[in-house]
Amino acid sequence: MTATSSERVATVAPEAASNRIRTGSWRPRAGHAFVAPYVALLALFGIIPVCYSIYLAFTDVGGGFVGFSNFSRTAQDYRFLPALGHVAVYLLIWLVMLSVLVVLLTLLVHQLVSRRTKTVIRLAYYIPGALAGASSVLLWLFVLDPTVSPVAPILKALGSDHFTDVVAPGHLPVIFAVIAFWTGAGGWVLVLYGALNTIPSDVLEAAKVDGAGRVRTALRIQLPMIRKSITYMLILAFAAGTQLFVEPQLISQASFGIVPNDYSVNQLAYQYAFTQNDFNGSAAIALDLLVIALISTGLFVARGRLFETD
Amino acid sequence: MSSPASYTAQRWAGRSLVAVVLIVFGLFFLVPVIWLLLAGTKTNHQLVDGNPFSFGSLSALRHNWDALMSFQSGSFKTWMKNSVLYAGLALVITLVVSIPAGYALAKLDFKGRRPLLIVTLVVMLMPTSALVLPIFLEVNYVHLVNTPLSVILPFSFFPFGVYLAYIYFADAVPSELLEAAKIDGCSEVRTFTAIALPLGMPVVALVGFFSFVQNWNNFFLPYVMLPRSDAYPMQVGLTQMLTSTPNFNPVVGASAEVSPPELVLATLVSAAPVLVIFLLAQRYVVSGLTAGATKG
Amino acid sequence: MEMVPRNAARVRRSRRVSRVRAAALVAGAVVGALSLAACGGQSVGGSTSKIADSNSKYGFKTASQDSKAQITVWVDSTREPIAKAYNAAHPDAQVKIVTYDGNANGSNSFKTKTQLFDRAGSGWPDVTFTTDNNSAAWGSFSGTGDLAAVNKGLVPDTTLNNFAKGSLDVCTVDGTSYCLRNDLAQNVLWYNKTLMDKFGYQVPTTWEDYEKLADKVATEHPGYIVGTAGDAWTPEIYMWAAQCPANDVTGPKTVKVDTSDPNCVKGAKLIDDLVANKTMSTLSLFGPDFAKNDADKVLMLPGPSWYGGSVFQGTLKTPAGQVAAAPALKWADASDTVTGDVGGGAWWISSHSKNLAAAADFATWVTSQAKYGDALAPTYPAYTPAAQTWAAETQKSGYYADDIVTPMSQAAGQVWSGWGSAQFSQEAIWAKVVQAGMSQGKTVESLLPAWQTEIENQAKTFGYEVTK
Repeated sequence: MTATSSERVATVAPEAASNRIRTGSWRPRAGHAFVAPYVALLALFGIIPVCYSIYLAFTDVGGGFVGFSNFSRTAQDYRFLPALGHVAVYLLIWLVMLSVLVVLLTLLVHQLVSRRTKTVIRLAYYIPGALAGASSVLLWLFVLDPTVSPVAPILKALGSDHFTDVVAPGHLPVIFAVIAFWTGAGGWVLVLYGALNTIPSDVLEAAKVDGAGRVRTALRIQLPMIRKSITYMLILAFAAGTQLFVEPQLISQASFGIVPNDYSVNQLAYQYAFTQNDFNGSAAIALDLLVIALISTGLFVARGRLFETD
Repeated sequence: MSSPASYTAQRWAGRSLVAVVLIVFGLFFLVPVIWLLLAGTKTNHQLVDGNPFSFGSLSALRHNWDALMSFQSGSFKTWMKNSVLYAGLALVITLVVSIPAGYALAKLDFKGRRPLLIVTLVVMLMPTSALVLPIFLEVNYVHLVNTPLSVILPFSFFPFGVYLAYIYFADAVPSELLEAAKIDGCSEVRTFTAIALPLGMPVVALVGFFSFVQNWNNFFLPYVMLPRSDAYPMQVGLTQMLTSTPNFNPVVGASAEVSPPELVLATLVSAAPVLVIFLLAQRYVVSGLTAGATKG
Repeated sequence: MEMVPRNAARVRRSRRVSRVRAAALVAGAVVGALSLAACGGQSVGGSTSKIADSNSKYGFKTASQDSKAQITVWVDSTREPIAKAYNAAHPDAQVKIVTYDGNANGSNSFKTKTQLFDRAGSGWPDVTFTTDNNSAAWGSFSGTGDLAAVNKGLVPDTTLNNFAKGSLDVCTVDGTSYCLRNDLAQNVLWYNKTLMDKFGYQVPTTWEDYEKLADKVATEHPGYIVGTAGDAWTPEIYMWAAQCPANDVTGPKTVKVDTSDPNCVKGAKLIDDLVANKTMSTLSLFGPDFAKNDADKVLMLPGPSWYGGSVFQGTLKTPAGQVAAAPALKWADASDTVTGDVGGGAWWISSHSKNLAAAADFATWVTSQAKYGDALAPTYPAYTPAAQTWAAETQKSGYYADDIVTPMSQAAGQVWSGWGSAQFSQEAIWAKVVQAGMSQGKTVESLLPAWQTEIENQAKTFGYEVTK
C-alpha cells in the first residue's frame, strides 16, 4: 500500500456491490423516491444556508467580492489564536476521554446479565443529557462553587477554595471536557450499545466455545464489528468539539463573565455575528471551522473506511 | 491453565472491578442530578446554607411549584405546550423523512448516492451558528417567521438521524432477506415496509429519541424565529426565567420573581418528557434484535 | 481497495461532476435571490450617517403613520406589570405585550434580534425595555435598529426636562437622545447603621476617610467588610467615582482611554489596599458564596440605589431597621462630588413604528409611574416627580434605619458624565481581565496596563478610534 491518505480520501470506499440491491437498469427511481423528501430538506436547511455562508465569507457588506480578506481579517483578531489554542487543548482531552471511556462503559454494560440492571444503568448515564439550558447554568454555578458544591471535598482536595480558583484558565479545558462528557456520554453509550446488539449472538457463542475470554472477545470481535459506529462517533465528537460553544457559554454565564464569552472559536463567530453585526467575518470563522472539520473527517473516513459495508 | 478455584477468584475479582467502574461513573452522572432533584424542595436559604444532599420540605416544594405556575401569569404551561407541539411534529416529520432516506442510502443503488452521503456529512460539520442567519432569511422570505413552521421545518432536517439509519441498515439488515422479498415479487416500497422497517425498529426508536431530545433542548433557533413570548418553547422560556433571578439579573430587586429553587424545579419539569420518551424508546432499542439473522 | 472497472468509475465521476455543477447552479440562483432579499446591513465600522431628517416633524425618517395601528412592546418579566397597567388605564389603546430577557446579564438580545429584523426588513418592536442603557451606541446609526430620536419633536421638552439631570446622557449621541430612562442606578454609600453605632464609627464623607475607617475595621473588627469588588460592575463604583478616564466616549465612534491616569491609579490603589486588609470582599454579591459567608458582616457598601432592595432586603435578608444610605463619597482632591452609576434601564422607540404617537405615549406613561399596580417600582425612577413619590413611599415602608431619600436624590444629579456607554461592554472587559487577574492574587494597579490593552482591543473590534 503506497497510496497516501489524501489519495485514499479521493477514492474512498467503493460500494461493495454484493451487499446492495442492484436496481440499476430496471427501477432507477425507487431510491430517488426514498430520499426525495430528505433531499428537499437538505437543500433548504443544509445546502442553501451553507452556500449562503460561503457567499458571505467572500463578500463585504455591500455584496462585493473581497477574496480572502474576511479570513485574514478575522485570523488577525487578537482573540482568534487564543481561542484556537483553547479548542485544540480541549479537543485532545475530550476525544481521548470519549474514545476510551465510552467504549469501555458500553462494553461493560453490555456484558451484564440482568436486563433490569442494564436498563437502570443506561438510564442513569443518560439522564444528564436531558438537562439543558438555564438549569445547567444554575447546576454548574453550584457544582463548581466549593462553598456550596455537592462535591466540595473533591474540589477542595484539588486545591480550589473558591469558585474563582475553580475556573482558573488552566482548569477550563478539563472542566469543559468533563461537562461535555457528563451531558453527552450517555447518548453515545446508547448508540454504541445499539451497535453491539447487532452482532449476532452465535458469533459470540462461537468465540466462547473457542475459549476466548471476555477481554479477548471484546478486542477481537466486538470492537472490529462496531468500528464504523466508533469512527462515526469520533467524527461527530470531533466536529462538535471544534464547535465548542455551549459549555464555555454556560460557565461564562455562571461565572458572571470571569470566563470570557470569547473563549472558543465558535463563540467568537457568534460574537462577530451578533454583537459586532459582522456576518461576513462570522461566516469566515465558521468556514475555518468547517475546513478543519472536513480535513480531519477525511482522515477519519480514510482510516475507518466509513462508507464501506462489509 | 489455572485451577478452578483461582479461576473463580479471578472471575470474582473481575466482576467486582466492573461493578466498581460502573458505580463510580454512575455516581459521576447522578450526583449533580440528585442535587438538582433535592434543590427543588428547598428554600433559597436552605439551598445555599444547608447540606447539599438534605431534603428540604414538602411545603417548600409546594411553594416553589405554585410560584412557578404563577410566573408571568402561567406562561410555564404555554411554553410546555409549545415545546410539545414543536418537538412532537418535528419528530414525526423527521422519522418519515430520515428512515427511508437512510435505508435507500444503505441498500439501494441510485444515481447520486455517494454525493448525497458526502453532502450530508459536510452539512453536519458546519457550525450551526453560521446557519442561523441564512435560515432566518429563508424563512422570512416565505413569510413564515413567527409561525410554528419556522422552527418545525428546520427541526425536521436531521442528517444525524439519516446517518444513524444508514449505518444501521447497512450493518444489521441482511441484503439476502431483501433480495428474497424482491424475488417473491414485493415492490421496493413493500420490501421496505414489510421487511426492513420491522427489522429497523430499534434505529427508528433511536433516531426518534435523539431528534426529540435535540429539538426539545434547542434554544437558538426558536429564540431567533419566534419573537412572540406566547410562542416560546420551554428552553427560551427557561432562559427568561434565569434572567428573572437575582443571581443573573441583580436589578430584579427584593421582589425577585424567581428564586434558584424554582428555576431548578422548572428544569426538572421541562426535562421530564425527555426522560419519559427515553424510557419508551428503551424498550425498542433493546428489544430482541433479529439483526444479522442470516449472517453466519 | 477499489475493484470497480475503471471506465465505470469514470462514468460515475463525470456524472457526479455534472450533478454537482447543477446543484451549484441551483444553489447559486437561490443565494442570489436571498441576497437580493437581504439588502441593508452595515459595515463593521458602521456608517455614521444618521436617520435624521429635518423635514419630518419628529426629526427622523418615519414609516407611514396609522394612528389606529396596534403597537408591540418588549419588556422583561419585571416590567410586565407596568405594561399591563398601561393597558388597564387605556382600554382603547391595547398594546401587545411580549416578554423577553430584557438584555439582562449581557445577553444582547435586543441587538441580536434587531440585527435579524434589519436584515429581514421587518419585525421590529415599537417600544423595547432594556435593563441596560447603551443601545444608542449601535441604534443611532442608520441600518442597525434605527432607534427613534426622542428629543427632536417626538417627546415634548417639558416631559424630557422632568428626567433627572444627566440621566439621558447615556443614550445621547451628538445631542440626539434615543431613550426615555426608566430608572437610575446612582451610587451612594450604603451602611449598616446598627453595626456602625455598635462599633462607634462615624459614617465617612470622603473616600480618604472611608479608607482610614476600613483600616480601623480591619484591626478592630476583622471579618467585617466595607465594600465588594467581586462583580463585573466594580469599575462603575470605584473607577467612575474617581473620574478615571477609561471609558470617555467622545463621539459616535471615538473613545478616550487612559488607565494610567492618576485618577485610575487612585481608584485601583483603594481597591488593592482594602482587598489586602481583607475589608473588601472579592466574592460576587449574588453568588452563593457571599450570601453564605458574609451576609451578616456587611458594615458599609458603596453601590447603586438598587442595592437597598436587591442586596440587603433580597439577597442578604438583612433585618428591617438596620440599613441606611449616606451621600456618595467625595475624593478630597476633586472639585466636587461625583458618583458612578450601575445600569439603570431604558425604554427605546423604533423609528420603524407605524404608530409613533402611541409608542411615545406608552413610553412616557410607563416612565412616569412610581408604582407598578399596588407594588412600588423595584428601582429608583429616573423621572423626577415619580422618583419623589417613590422615595417617600420607600421611606414609609419602614425597612430603612434612616433617611435614604436625600442621599439618593442628591446622588441622582451627581453622576459624572465622563464615563460613557459604548458598544463594547466595560463590565465584560473588567471581568475577563481584572477580575480574572485578581483571583490569581494580582493587584488592580498591576493590571491597569492589561485593562487598557483589552479596552483598546475591544473598542477597535467595534470600529472605534481610540485616543489617549
